[in-house]
Amino acid sequence: MSLLLLLIPLIAAGFVLVARPRSGRQIALLITLANLAVTAYAVFAFQGGGGDALAFHTPWVPNAGISFSLSLDGISLLLVVLTNVLAPIIVLSSFGRGYDHENRYYGLVLLMIGALNGVFMAQDGLLFYVFYELALIPIYFICAIWGGQDRIRVTLKFFIYTFIGSLFMLMSLIYIYLQTGDPMAGPDVVRHSFLWKDLLAVQLSPEAAWWVMLGFFVAFAVKMPVFPFHTWQPDTYTTAPTGGTMLLSGIMLKMGVYGMIRWMIPLAPEALHTWSLYFITLSVIGIVYASIIAVKQSDFKRLIAYSSIAHVGLIAAGVLSWNKSGVQGSMIQMFNHGINVVGLFFVADLIERRLGTRSLSEMGGIAKNAPRLATLFMIIMLGSVAVPLTNGFPGEFLLLNGVWNYNAWMGAVAGLTIIFGAVYMMRAYGLAMFGETNDATAQFADLDTRELTVLGILAVLVIVLGFFPQTILSITDQSVNAILGSVQI
Amino acid sequence: MKALLILFFTAIAILFAGLSKNRKSLQTIALVGNILALLATGLDLVWGDTTGLNEHYATMFRFDQFALAFTAVVLTSSLLLMGLSGWGFRALSDTLGDNYGLILFSLCGALCMFSFTNMVMLFLGIEILSIPMYVMAGSRRDEPASNEAALKYFLMGAFATGFLLFGITLVYGATASFDLQVIARSIAEGKHSLGMLHMGILLMLVGLSFKVSAVPFHFWAPDVYTGSPNLVTAFMSTVVKTAGFAAMYRLFSSAFVDAGDFWGVTVAALAALTMTLANVTAIFQTNFKRMMAYSSISHAGYLLLAILAIGQAGSAGALLLYTLSYSIATICAFAVYILVAEQNNNESMDAFNGFSKKEPFLAAVMVISMLSLAGIPPTAGFFGKYFLFSVAFEKYPWLIGLAVINSAISIYYYFKVIIAMYFVRSEDQPSVLTPVGFKWVVAGGLVLIALLTIVPGSIYGLI
Repeated sequence: MSLLLLLIPLIAAGFVLVARPRSGRQIALLITLANLAVTAYAVFAFQGGGGDALAFHTPWVPNAGISFSLSLDGISLLLVVLTNVLAPIIVLSSFGRGYDHENRYYGLVLLMIGALNGVFMAQDGLLFYVFYELALIPIYFICAIWGGQDRIRVTLKFFIYTFIGSLFMLMSLIYIYLQTGDPMAGPDVVRHSFLWKDLLAVQLSPEAAWWVMLGFFVAFAVKMPVFPFHTWQPDTYTTAPTGGTMLLSGIMLKMGVYGMIRWMIPLAPEALHTWSLYFITLSVIGIVYASIIAVKQSDFKRLIAYSSIAHVGLIAAGVLSWNKSGVQGSMIQMFNHGINVVGLFFVADLIERRLGTRSLSEMGGIAKNAPRLATLFMIIMLGSVAVPLTNGFPGEFLLLNGVWNYNAWMGAVAGLTIIFGAVYMMRAYGLAMFGETNDATAQFADLDTRELTVLGILAVLVIVLGFFPQTILSITDQSVNAILGSVQI
Repeated sequence: MKALLILFFTAIAILFAGLSKNRKSLQTIALVGNILALLATGLDLVWGDTTGLNEHYATMFRFDQFALAFTAVVLTSSLLLMGLSGWGFRALSDTLGDNYGLILFSLCGALCMFSFTNMVMLFLGIEILSIPMYVMAGSRRDEPASNEAALKYFLMGAFATGFLLFGITLVYGATASFDLQVIARSIAEGKHSLGMLHMGILLMLVGLSFKVSAVPFHFWAPDVYTGSPNLVTAFMSTVVKTAGFAAMYRLFSSAFVDAGDFWGVTVAALAALTMTLANVTAIFQTNFKRMMAYSSISHAGYLLLAILAIGQAGSAGALLLYTLSYSIATICAFAVYILVAEQNNNESMDAFNGFSKKEPFLAAVMVISMLSLAGIPPTAGFFGKYFLFSVAFEKYPWLIGLAVINSAISIYYYFKVIIAMYFVRSEDQPSVLTPVGFKWVVAGGLVLIALLTIVPGSIYGLI
């Protein structure tokens, strides 16, 4: 089953890229919906207690202990669900943009979806690394071919940044891999193994763990991004085509958080005590720093980009505090941040497409002509601000609780995110939707059916998950307990 | 041994056939000889029994698993290059037969370098490989650049040979033998004059570093690569490089392994210098071939890691996988480059501007080759790099750290080509005419890259 989630999009991507059919976009939508159906089946199987049957395992390079091993526990499953729920929405939201060489675009999106599913399911260190990098190639091309101004320089910076980061992760993985197995075994036996459970069993010395954790952290901090590794992010989010930005912010940054939960902390727990305070401090600085910049932004897309840094900083702090509340909070918030940020970028895109500008100062009064947009935007915006009874609230509450339990001061500073979040989001909403109309916004057309579908689905998710956060928490509950329990600190 | 004989007789035959000047038949003879040799090697490699193998010709060669595996690698590269030669050698009319003959003779030299068990044979192998290359570098006789390349290559090569010979002499003086096993035994038992042995090893290392173009003995490489005909450059950066490293590995792993503490530091320093300097210089190149020359030097730096990892399980397999994936990616890149540059008369990167619009397939081939050279998963080059890094990690973690940073730097120049092809908008990009041979070669190259991605273990585990 887990193999299907990988093969369907990858094979379809190959077909769309090579055969260049006339109906590439319809095929992409169909494939992502098929994948969503498979995911739904996996969720039911998992809830019924059949999670083990979803796994897939076969040796890849047997003489070096590398295997092609996929499985789905609650943590992986939630992120796979996020990926496959957002995929059709992202594909559908791209329909309005008449990209040239459309097949290439949809083929690359499908390739990306396949790679992301692989990242979240991989149970083998090298396989994880391969998917982690494989996801980078399509998004690089998406951003650099269909991006906006200055796209070549910005995307190359993005690529090199993340590539360097993940190479450090590769070194950490190789180091732990070389410690696996029985050192007394003869030369003919395959000594080492990249399987997650074998890597987990390795006991590192404190100095080694110090380096290993640093290697992982650089990789994941660049991807998320955590301050001060964030400098690629605002430019890349702003220049990328909206579909690319959605993939980057909605799903791809979760690779970093997931990597921390699954790989960094369990594999090098010996260093968590030494590092966690520094890492959490960086995350909290990121929250405040990004929020302040977001308050002053006039470019709408850039504002969302900075708000994303702030949100993900809180998620990282929650994970690094490594208690039940923090990790559960990060799970639910990863899911909800994905939904909210995709919604916000979609709104930014459709305003930009109508007005030809992203500047908030050139908007205003849109609500008069577009009440449907104003309503749905309001719902998603409230979710992002974490108003109670929207999806953002339970996650943010759990996260702050987790950070607070770790260190009250950190928790207090991180709590500023709620205030700042309200300030910059309300400000953006007010500037765009209310106030005087100008020549451009007076002609503003309301949502068409396709846009209404996309935003409607997202808004419904915001409300439903706000009322029933338990649906998410119940999926991950056991797995989070298991992973917290497997790490002895 | 079979492959060596087949190649040698094909080379003789083609020299006679060269009188006929029939382009098609010359290429066919060369291809057939190459395929037969590859088949013979492949059969021996998979089903042959090399355990009870004796040395041939008074303990000069032994075609063991190692030799057969590397023979297969260079014969695969040369097969792909021969596929390109129909159109690639169109400018050579009266010397075509000689050129095919020279290529085949130099392959014979490469085979000697994989199978030697005696330092005399190593020396002969290197010379048999190199002398045809000196001639080939100058095969565009009317071009000053080609003549310059030939002269430079020859002078530098002669120098290197001198160092190598002097080194062999000193090692002989210290251990009283040319035979690798006797030398190894003598070193292990400590029955040698230490100073003379170390000087000998050092001089041999210098000689071999010249051949594989490791920094600081690399100065000939960019000029020679740029001046030589394109196909010859491709041959140099794949077959010659593979042969040089395999010979180095064989020499150091069987003769000098117990002196590892002495040469380890030197090789580590060479590796660090080579990858850093070459990568940084490559960033500033605007000529594609020059960029590829520096890229090939930087790969020499990574390949030196395999020499450092001698003694670790899997180091030979890592070298094999790396040379194979590197060779295929380089040949595919050159195939596309030859079409673009020679049909547009433009050797710089600008020739690729907007290329993906007109030739999506060739552009995709170039992208995959560049990603593979940069070692980005899931391409074959990644697995080559991964295994190389992981075998050398235990002994030299700092060097791997440097190699990782260098891999990141290399993205910058490999991506220049991708950026030019896909992201730079150019209206006047003419489409190129793709001869049949090129189509076959790039398709074959892509299949091999895909296979290496799916089952890298089958190559890695071969030796």
